[in-house]
Amino acid sequence: MIERLKKLIAKSVKSDSLEMNRIKTASYKNVSFKNDSFKIDAFKIIENRITASELFFVKKGLDMYRTKNVHNFNITVYKNFEEESVSYTGSSSAIIHPTMSDEEILQVIEEVSFAASFIKNKYYPLLEPSHKNQPQLISNFSEKPLNEWLSTLTSAVYNSDTCDSGGINSSELFLNKVFTRIVSSTGIDVSYTTYKGELEFITNWKEDTEEIELYKHIDFSEMDYALIDEKVKAMLIISKEKAIASPTPALGKYNILLNGTPVIELLNYYVTQASAKTVYNGMSLAKLGENIQGEDVMGDLITLTLDPFMKNSTKSSPYDSNGFPVDSVKIFNGGVLNMYHGDLRHCHYLNVEPTGNISNFVIEGGNYSIADFKMEPYLEIIAFSDFQMDTLTGDFAGEIRLGWFFDGTNTIPVTGGSISGNIKKLQKQMYLSKELQKDNNFIGPKIVKLLNVNVTGIE
Amino acid sequence: MKVSMSSFLISQKPVLKKIVGILSENYKYVSILGTDTKGKLYNVQKTGIDLTDSHWCERGFVVRVHNGVNFSEFSFNEINENSLNNIVDEIHLNMTNTLESLKNASITVNAYDLIEETLIKEQFLGEVTTLPSTLTSKEKIEKMCFIKDSALSYSDLLVDFRVAYHEVHVSKIFISNNKELEQSYIWSEGYLVSIVRRDDNTKYAHASFSGLKAVELLDEMKNGIEKIVDTSIKLLDAKSVIPGEYDVICSPEISGLIAHEAFGHGVEMDMFVKKRAKALEYIGKSVASELVTMHDGAAAARNMSSYLFDDEGVLGTDTIVIEKGILKTGISDILSALKLETKPTGNGKRESFERKAYARMTNTFFTAGNDTLEDMIASIKYGYILDGTMSGMEDPKNWGIQCMILQGSEIKDGKLTGEIVSPVIMTGYVPDVLKSISMLSETVELSGSGACGKGYKEFVKVSDGGPYIKAKVRLG
Repeated sequence: MIERLKKLIAKSVKSDSLEMNRIKTASYKNVSFKNDSFKIDAFKIIENRITASELFFVKKGLDMYRTKNVHNFNITVYKNFEEESVSYTGSSSAIIHPTMSDEEILQVIEEVSFAASFIKNKYYPLLEPSHKNQPQLISNFSEKPLNEWLSTLTSAVYNSDTCDSGGINSSELFLNKVFTRIVSSTGIDVSYTTYKGELEFITNWKEDTEEIELYKHIDFSEMDYALIDEKVKAMLIISKEKAIASPTPALGKYNILLNGTPVIELLNYYVTQASAKTVYNGMSLAKLGENIQGEDVMGDLITLTLDPFMKNSTKSSPYDSNGFPVDSVKIFNGGVLNMYHGDLRHCHYLNVEPTGNISNFVIEGGNYSIADFKMEPYLEIIAFSDFQMDTLTGDFAGEIRLGWFFDGTNTIPVTGGSISGNIKKLQKQMYLSKELQKDNNFIGPKIVKLLNVNVTGIE
Repeated sequence: MKVSMSSFLISQKPVLKKIVGILSENYKYVSILGTDTKGKLYNVQKTGIDLTDSHWCERGFVVRVHNGVNFSEFSFNEINENSLNNIVDEIHLNMTNTLESLKNASITVNAYDLIEETLIKEQFLGEVTTLPSTLTSKEKIEKMCFIKDSALSYSDLLVDFRVAYHEVHVSKIFISNNKELEQSYIWSEGYLVSIVRRDDNTKYAHASFSGLKAVELLDEMKNGIEKIVDTSIKLLDAKSVIPGEYDVICSPEISGLIAHEAFGHGVEMDMFVKKRAKALEYIGKSVASELVTMHDGAAAARNMSSYLFDDEGVLGTDTIVIEKGILKTGISDILSALKLETKPTGNGKRESFERKAYARMTNTFFTAGNDTLEDMIASIKYGYILDGTMSGMEDPKNWGIQCMILQGSEIKDGKLTGEIVSPVIMTGYVPDVLKSISMLSETVELSGSGACGKGYKEFVKVSDGGPYIKAKVRLG
């Protein structure tokens, strides 16, 4: 199909079907479409073939089995042009379905070519092939066909679902094998295979009050029976806690401990702030060599690394979507912005070295243990309805589904109410636990302690 | 102007019927949903322009069969006369073998009855004022750049002004032994995002536009510039709300968010099957103020989720979910209806042909009341008008509600003071919120920008809305 697309691109740029000047010559490598106001300078094709097996359970019974086999292509066309002495690189992209006829594909190519000719994005060079040898991603899912993993995965999910007062209400398991190939007219031709597993499950628990439920979603790229079992066990334990939880008291401004997934949402603020795209667009004011947390920080400092090869992450990849060979890079060191991260285009705009787009991040632990955090009164929150972190304004908030309130003497599970704050105002007194967690594309502190956060209680 | 049906899907009809015929030799129920959705997403901002295909674009098929115990599905997007055997083999051999191996691993399989279908052959073609093809992509971008440049010249505090326009042409076909359905319609949505900064204080406000429309939406968007820039500038001086319980007036957008999160998700009847919905215990009981009536349905309104048939081939309906405060019924996909022995309501929707169908909302809204907004404001001693949806999350089991709202405009002694708080998180217990509704304005407005997820995935288009409503809620 890629060869067919290449031929159709060549045919398209030679044809005169559009009512404007046409491209005169074309070759795949170093596409020399020249001298007209409507020409193509380059193209990129991304191919994805996804096969998947999916199981849907209600209680422990299989409610539906689904499979998938889809093949998709995405084409991007680039055009360099000048207007009023300013150089631009226009681009536009579109999806090519495998069932499209040649006529349909030609029409798509013409549409994106036309669009690329007036999209005024500042000039940037296109990626050239690299001779770097990228390590292959290895997953044990490659050892046998997807459908042969289903019974093992099911067993892992339900292994600890043995309690009388609660258990798994329903679950959904998705296992995807994704083949990706990226080809460009500049000579890039790379390919790799990844595995993307997803498990969503709901737990119920009933004590003397009404039955409660909690939601959990985990992503994985390797068969790790113990990891899935541990996640389920942990959810059952906290479900029991929620079933006996009291209403969250109205605490006003209080010290909070964020535990687990909300930590990732919160700390993702620093990934976004250091993105070349965010900085170029003026949405981040982060400057190289400066401490993102400001001066006189009393809490822990952010040390952040992007790692494209993180084990058991569905976001790991040897190349980004442009075919850029990615590598591990340290972005913040002790709070100081060491380098911006991003694709060639936006890094070129900022005149910095590109890192490629990398979606796994590692944040070092801090100076205190969780036990240290728990020496003083706190509200620890492990489950929100939906923790929201606005990486532009720094505002965060969420309704509490389960937390633990320690008043200095007793610790009780609590539910309801909400917290809200702004990380820009709180980050000088932000403490990262020594203990780390690993959750798909994140390795970092298990708990983050913030001081003086607004807590809206219901009692 | 009438929207045209996908010629690709029409051309595939004979092949699809052949697949249904072959599979019917071994399976008592077989259906195929075919989709061909085209669309473009335009983005204009200070530092660049993007034009890509819409993320709703899809072209493919999903086959559903009753495998003797329950239903199995196969999603694929490569099809021709020569590959029919591959498709049949995937279902007849591979899926059957896998199901057998799962049974052998002591996994129980939940049983479902057969879907019974009556003979039906129908087509629906939507209409828009101006087809997307009326303007070239260049002309659309020029209109958007004009909006952006007009906004940027309005205030020096703007660091960016983003304009997004999204047009989508949906075509679907549903074939089974008894059904032959086709539909094609266009929807569009647009956003204006005003981003302002003073020192290192950055705030933004957004306005959304949507409907079963096409490029006419760009002209609507042009009229929203000043309001949205003014709002974003005001946000720079916004204070945090003092946590507590307040009398509030929710704008139609926030009314819709409440309808959607509070009761929409809670009455999706696949949740009844899983016993995840508290609503199941409250059918026929009071859950809201007597002033509250709530509808959902593809046929309940003409908005983003109005269609002839859902993704399981069931015709869309108009469901009265709450009538004068009493919970009447839920909204259902076809498999949940089979389990619950109820009638499906045409709410079985898929994110795409690649995903499973679930019970999902369509157009969900509270009906109008008899009050004026002025009287509603005058009735409040101290409170806020809430406006600007940021996000929401459901809790169907325990009836919690979380709504992230852009701003609250302060009301003191029956008058707006000009002061605002932002952002605002509204939480509460659903019946408490709905029972506290004491006034509703006379006009219902629906909007359908963005997407609705089930949990954190399975995104589909919906609309929601209502009149202005007065209620008592907890803000933080």
